[in-house]
Amino acid sequence: MQDTGKNIIIAGVGGQGILLFSNLLSKFYMKLGYELKISDVIGLGQRGGGVESHFRYSNKPVLSPFIKAGDVDYVISFEQTETLRFLHCLKDDGIIFTSTFELSSTSVNTGLQKAMPESKTEIIKRSENKKFIIDPDEHKSPDFNISKMMNVVMLGYYAEFRAYSHDDMIQIVRENVPEKFVEGNIKAYKMGTMIAVGELVAK
Amino acid sequence: MKMMNGNEAVARGAFEAGVKVAAGFPGTPSTEVMDYTQHRYPDIYCEWSTNEKVGLEVAIGASFAGYRSLAIMKTVGLHVAADALGGAAGSQINGGLVLVVGDDVGRIAGDDYNDVRHYGNMFNIPVLEPSDSQEAKDLMVRAFEISEEYSTPVILKITSVTCKTTGRVLIDEDYAYEVKCREKYPVSFSKVIMTTIMMKAKGSEHPKLTKCFNDFPAHMKRLAEDSNDFDINKLELNGKKIGVITAGTPYYYVKEVLPEASVLKLGLVMPLPEKMIRELAQHVEKLYVIEDGHDILEKNIKDLGISVIGKELFPKFPEMTRFTPDIIEEKLVPGAPKRTPQEGVPFRLPVSCAGCSHLFISQILRKHKIKAAADVTCGLIGCFPHMESYSLQKCMGSSIALAHGYNIAKDHKENFVAMIGDGGFWATGINGLMNLIFNDSQSTVIIVDNSCLAMTGGQNVASSEFGFNYKAENKLDIAKVCEAIGVKDIVTVDAYEFKNLEESILNAVNAKTNSVVIVKKPCVTKFKLPKDTPSYIDQDLCSKCRKCINVGCLAIESKRKNGSVEIVINEDICTGCGLCSTVCHTEAIKN
Repeated sequence: MQDTGKNIIIAGVGGQGILLFSNLLSKFYMKLGYELKISDVIGLGQRGGGVESHFRYSNKPVLSPFIKAGDVDYVISFEQTETLRFLHCLKDDGIIFTSTFELSSTSVNTGLQKAMPESKTEIIKRSENKKFIIDPDEHKSPDFNISKMMNVVMLGYYAEFRAYSHDDMIQIVRENVPEKFVEGNIKAYKMGTMIAVGELVAK
Repeated sequence: MKMMNGNEAVARGAFEAGVKVAAGFPGTPSTEVMDYTQHRYPDIYCEWSTNEKVGLEVAIGASFAGYRSLAIMKTVGLHVAADALGGAAGSQINGGLVLVVGDDVGRIAGDDYNDVRHYGNMFNIPVLEPSDSQEAKDLMVRAFEISEEYSTPVILKITSVTCKTTGRVLIDEDYAYEVKCREKYPVSFSKVIMTTIMMKAKGSEHPKLTKCFNDFPAHMKRLAEDSNDFDINKLELNGKKIGVITAGTPYYYVKEVLPEASVLKLGLVMPLPEKMIRELAQHVEKLYVIEDGHDILEKNIKDLGISVIGKELFPKFPEMTRFTPDIIEEKLVPGAPKRTPQEGVPFRLPVSCAGCSHLFISQILRKHKIKAAADVTCGLIGCFPHMESYSLQKCMGSSIALAHGYNIAKDHKENFVAMIGDGGFWATGINGLMNLIFNDSQSTVIIVDNSCLAMTGGQNVASSEFGFNYKAENKLDIAKVCEAIGVKDIVTVDAYEFKNLEESILNAVNAKTNSVVIVKKPCVTKFKLPKDTPSYIDQDLCSKCRKCINVGCLAIESKRKNGSVEIVINEDICTGCGLCSTVCHTEAIKN
């Protein structure tokens, strides 16, 4: 069946390359001829604030820059506290792609707010939605720092899941990442595809 | 066709409108309008001015010279420039004069809730509002045409949503820049002269005076009348049950959630196209106003004697920071499913980047219980409850005058210290310093010189060593300026030399004279400063007193591990600056 479009929320914290991820993905969908609207919501602070990108591609013109709760096909998140913020936005058959990486909330660090009593990973696992969970600690590589490059790892994972052309995607990475980072990014991308292959076979 | 966010599209619009001069001051969400204009369209002269008022005055001068001119700022900045706008409103316009003003709807960057359209009402000037990037570009060109045709400054309102939403924009790739110039009026005066004539004051019929006359109320009346036929206002008559008057991105929320509704979508939100509104009102059973920000369209429509439903159904801030499709669905679509967010997900307080010089200053103030005012800088994070380094914080450039006011009220028995950034100092803080000197007052001022406006992403200021029009010989020197103003005791220190910084601040606070401590350290994030070996916490020595967390650094986290809490340093974030180790009593922090 032809893909008429999807609503994706890309989430994480400042510095994780959420905007790069959505930029790379937008290049890919543009090549496929889709209409796109991407809206970025960036929190206060140069670093460490929540960042969410509402990414919509469709074969019809996209209207609202924000995706209504309940209309989200995929939540792709690089930080698990941020994942939790969007669980309720998913469609019944929506899918979660998340890293178990966590940047503690400042409000909890400083004791202004209580930590959640339960493990965040467990809450995600309990969700009725289909989920793919990547633990960066299980996939450490000498070639790149996975905690800094989860965005591109996730891009590889997502592309494998969607059965997209890796050649096309890697070409987009090449064209849009500063030259000195290209090799590391491609290694991260391939790592993502490998993790996905393992997971998808297992499921 | 190109993918552009709203800021890029506005810059493109300026290019296609043949703008000659762009001036302004950084402010989220519209800062990048200037960045894109400068990078992509070198034909346009760009400057970051010392503040918004100066920026607007530069644009007004350039407009009088006949050239299309642009002033860029956020709404909070327009408060600074409001006097300049009041002067330009109602006056003769040669080259089109447009203000691109960003409204930070949704408070995502945390500043006060503002709505630029109030200025449209107050000064009787037109306001345009795009719904997406395509319109942002197109309305930019229209704004200049309206400015010249109706002899008025025009505001283009953009928001955090339009600025940060990327969509497709149709552009002519081969478009050749052509500067637009129009010298229609030999003079242009503020409204005072026009009012003299309108009030028929004695002697006002003198030809020397009447030739200066600009009948601005008539221009606005004509614009209001003409706007009924403008294609940027779109009346879509569909179902008769629900009618909506809307503008900006809420238009798209309405189209998605209420596809059957009849809609009047305004591109020109001020003045209003009365005929179109009446036509819609007659067509539908219920008429709603869905507008981000304040209830301005609503009030203006009600002033026409047309009843509409607005904030009684959609209460404004703090109930709602901005419209979302969800809010419209909840109120207007019967039986829409309700979805509840996961409970207890903690919020993220703003926090300083690891290695930020502000953390050093906040720490010293807290350690020695020095009472101080913060300014609008990254350092204002020191006001948050976990840090409590400052007890007073208001607008950009205010801290020096705030401290002066406090100190004179307390008969100088206390030394209430002012902390200000380099950006705030040049913006308006320098006035506070001149003021306190010539008024024979005393205060200590800490100027945090991080070589840029860090909060908005690192734009240049007068003392930066980079920037659009940078020349080494024109760089202003903070210490020299302070000296010229008459400050007696000026010292410059490196933020990372903790002992020295601590001593300098204590000496300045205790000196019985005016003192300035200039704390130098380039912004760690903007200038990507090299990192030292990251610190770590020896868990055997850590007493979990959490003093290091209160330093306010992003790298220090409280993590649960195997059922107990550990304070840890995130090695990917830590810059190894060592500040946290100065507060540790058990010497658990090492590197």
